[in-house]
Amino acid sequence: MSEKTYAVPGSISRRRFLHGSAAAGAIMALPGATLAQAEGQLLLWLPGGSDLFCKIHTGLLEGFSSSANLGPATTVCGLGQDTEFTQALIGSITAGSPPDISMLWDSPVSLGAQGAFMPLDEMMKNSKIGIDTWPAGLLSSCQFKGNTYGLPVTAGVYTMWYNEELLESKGIPSDRASFPKTWVEMRKLSKEFTVWDGDTLVSAGFMPNRIPETMAIWSALNGGMLFDEANLKYMLDSEQNIEMMNFFLEWLDEEYKGDVNLIDRAGNFKEAYPDASSGLGPAFREGRQAGLISGSWLMGDIYADPVPTFTRWNMAPIPVGPSGTTAVSGTWPNWFVIPVGSKNPQAAFDYLSYLAIEGSVEWYQQIPDVPTNSQVSLKAPNSLIENRGAEFADDLTAFLATQAAIVTPMWNSPSQSFGNDQMARAMEKIYTKAASVKDALSDAQSAAQAELDRVMAG
Amino acid sequence: MGKSTPSGQAGAETLPRRRRRAGRNEARAGVLFALPWMIGLAIFTAIPLVLTFYIAQARFQITGAPKWVGLQNYSAIWADPAVWTSAQNTLMFAMISVPIKLVLALCLALLLNRVTMLSGFYRTVFYLPFLMPAVAGSIVFILLLNPVAGPVNMMLQAMGLSPPDWLLDPKAALWTLILLSLWPLGVETLVFLGGLQNIPKDISEAADLDSPRGWHKLVWITIPLITPMILFNLVTGIIYSFQVFTQALVIGGTTGKPAEATLMYMVVLYRAAFRYFNMGHAAAMATVLFVVVLLLTLLIFRTARSWVYYEGESR
Repeated sequence: MSEKTYAVPGSISRRRFLHGSAAAGAIMALPGATLAQAEGQLLLWLPGGSDLFCKIHTGLLEGFSSSANLGPATTVCGLGQDTEFTQALIGSITAGSPPDISMLWDSPVSLGAQGAFMPLDEMMKNSKIGIDTWPAGLLSSCQFKGNTYGLPVTAGVYTMWYNEELLESKGIPSDRASFPKTWVEMRKLSKEFTVWDGDTLVSAGFMPNRIPETMAIWSALNGGMLFDEANLKYMLDSEQNIEMMNFFLEWLDEEYKGDVNLIDRAGNFKEAYPDASSGLGPAFREGRQAGLISGSWLMGDIYADPVPTFTRWNMAPIPVGPSGTTAVSGTWPNWFVIPVGSKNPQAAFDYLSYLAIEGSVEWYQQIPDVPTNSQVSLKAPNSLIENRGAEFADDLTAFLATQAAIVTPMWNSPSQSFGNDQMARAMEKIYTKAASVKDALSDAQSAAQAELDRVMAG
Repeated sequence: MGKSTPSGQAGAETLPRRRRRAGRNEARAGVLFALPWMIGLAIFTAIPLVLTFYIAQARFQITGAPKWVGLQNYSAIWADPAVWTSAQNTLMFAMISVPIKLVLALCLALLLNRVTMLSGFYRTVFYLPFLMPAVAGSIVFILLLNPVAGPVNMMLQAMGLSPPDWLLDPKAALWTLILLSLWPLGVETLVFLGGLQNIPKDISEAADLDSPRGWHKLVWITIPLITPMILFNLVTGIIYSFQVFTQALVIGGTTGKPAEATLMYMVVLYRAAFRYFNMGHAAAMATVLFVVVLLLTLLIFRTARSWVYYEGESR
């Protein structure tokens, strides 16, 4: 065997090794270089949403950038929802290459308090979208310790949606004024429509609420609250909330055989959208459900696939609970934030000013998320006028404005996601009979309060 | 004199030097070849491991700098009911799935060991599920076990049986998850098969002569001779089952639907880190898991001295 057999440095020389390392380094650095964003060119990130949603925002940003001579703008759509989107956003902030503006579908308070988003207060002072131009209850969903970390530019307003044709088929008045005013009335009306074929739910009236995000509204309608912002205290196991869940559970037992799984086997009776996991269609749009709670955004989606089997849907205020006294509504805002590290913070803020006033009107015309800034006057969306006529569209727009004025504070906890998750967990345990109402809410309360205290400790 | 030394003598003098130099070159080549792996190990395993131990004692929410809080994160996980629920689910999952998996893999290996025709084909078939990404596999099972349109329930209904709500009923969901974990048995089976095929023929034939009963041979000859493989599958099985994540996340989401029945320890860890951005909490959970798995592994290795037989080893 010759020495050459061992002469490995000949086959992988130091020079070659260094060349290889340099090439590898260049490849690793490439994404950073391509992602680097030029000053003056706005970059907007959007979470999930339909193609139409993406198209609207792309158009709005391009239009603004062009009129402000900012150069080509980029809108990145469909980066995922919930956790995935937030992960991507936080990742980009820590990597030093965040977008200039990002939409959020979760309260910006929690991440803002952790230093992920720029406080907007200074920029708001000298702008046309000052603090006093926003509904205080809504803006509080962006505020923490005196700082405003985002803007609730538009919001879907929650109301009861119902099928006028189904009501009339039973000889029940279908006008908004005749819609049930209390939970007891709604439960009574619901029975008229609930039909079982053995263990198969054929059609239903209304349902005990199973959407965790709307629980703050139902709690307020029963005179309670989930989170006491003034005292920074969760109230998940308050008397009103225990009463609320007991009411829902009794309703489930009485009308729906006490089994949520039987309901879920028959279709999606929870929401007006197809169920992602089972693929089952929305019972409301299929004409198999008299009504349900939903956001105003459904107006934009209702004519998309799957189309409703009926034409005459309407909206009404959400009924009041046994311990409640006043009607309230709720919202799910579209928040906008300027991440820390944005290359163009002032231009980004200028875009938010434009979006909050002019842009949101155009947005509402195509997808009816209600503009929240007080300077915006609402006009009925064209799609609604085309499908239901100008009178109905104007009436509904006015109704949404009244509902937007009575929204209950929600999305205002510094540990919002955690609190929502705890409520979702409690509801699942209650509805599947895995725990009693009191125990489930008590567990959720302890966990939510502990997390809040941790976040507040800083 | 040195310069006039005969070549044979000179060769004899330089041979150790040549060997030493060759050895050095060989070592250098070895290091170079191992270098990419060593760098990868340092960057992706060793440094994160050390950082995890550090972050476990800090308040860190990714966007700011870590702030030292001592053992606060450990007391927080002690007080977190989700940690206990998930630990209980994970323990149950491990205690049931690992032994069943071992027994099934052994049975399968015994069968494959007897197959003479198309043995390669069967081995490949049984290994294939392991190659399918866990996410894809989980989605397939979600569709198969769908209570309305899933073929499994349709078949059971056609047979006059009342099928369970596999993934919707809190009482059934964990069992379904355990059932799904039994699906990719390929690695365990191949490890056992390797062990079975290494059993010396003379011992096997002698056992056949001694006792006509097959289970006698299995219990007294086969199983003792494959105990190193059982040990390997047991240790890796326990490590895997304590880290079960993908299937649980795809099926139960971050809340462990339904009613936390599928909430696993790693899911709680993941959501603490990437949903609530409470990295300290997540790192403390990771540290506890590391210690628990390490202790369990050490315990198994300790007991292994009394039940694992290595060929050629004197007792």
